[in-house]
Amino acid sequence: MPDIEWDEMLAAATGEVLETMFFTDVYGPAPAGASAGEPRVAASLGFEGTPSGALTLSVSEPAVRALASNFLGSEEDDPLPPAQLGSVVCELANMICGSLLSRVKVEEHFRLTSPELLPADACPPGPPSQSLAMGEAEADGTIDIWLALEPHAG
Amino acid sequence: MSFRVLIVDDSAVMRAFIRRIIVLSGMEGAEFLEASDGREALNLLSKQWVDVVLTDINMPSMDGEELLRCLEADDVLKSVPVVVVSTDSTASRIRQMLSLGARGYVKKPFLPETLREELERVLGGAYAGY
Repeated sequence: MPDIEWDEMLAAATGEVLETMFFTDVYGPAPAGASAGEPRVAASLGFEGTPSGALTLSVSEPAVRALASNFLGSEEDDPLPPAQLGSVVCELANMICGSLLSRVKVEEHFRLTSPELLPADACPPGPPSQSLAMGEAEADGTIDIWLALEPHAG
Repeated sequence: MSFRVLIVDDSAVMRAFIRRIIVLSGMEGAEFLEASDGREALNLLSKQWVDVVLTDINMPSMDGEELLRCLEADDVLKSVPVVVVSTDSTASRIRQMLSLGARGYVKKPFLPETLREELERVLGGAYAGY
């Protein structure tokens, strides 16, 4: 499958998850340098099937707080603890990966590993597969997603 | 009318989300029990009756597949309806879980009304029409 199809499916999967589970819209592609210097929360998980690979995402901290607040229904003046923010990012990664793989028309099922938090500087090198601005304005925060596919054996 | 839901998921934030969505969807009278894996769920079910189980698949210790096998093997607990709530929505996985005894399957991500409709369906007519 061409990379461009994967990128399109990844953007669609991300939009679906953000809209249905986090009640948040994708504003559009993040402009270069958006959220630069802001702290980020990152998580990664692997998947096994045809194909196998890994999905990593990194979310700017203002976006994480907004997403977690929407997901859990917490008040903005009742800040969530960092561990809970991390768990929300892990769930986000899990659901984006599941939504993405559900778009791959194969009969066999994929096996997903449990998402794990990463140090923000441990994200894959190189540009992300998708970099999206969330919410109603670019300033609401960004999400970067890297999709790595293993070469198909045979 | 009240009904008791057991939510089985290793993610505490997902359990909280499902609780919230059931309340927000307007299903009044829900009481919630929670378990972080199949083993904890079986332990709870040995002590308390529930009207429906919502379970994830991928969990440590005992996953949703094994939980379904255990419930189906129990003469009493096999009557408790189980709805799988999972990110894995491949046709083969859905067929497998339904063949193991699941009464329904909700793919994550899901809309609140999707979960509500599935709950109303498996709980039966007594719970319809909220």
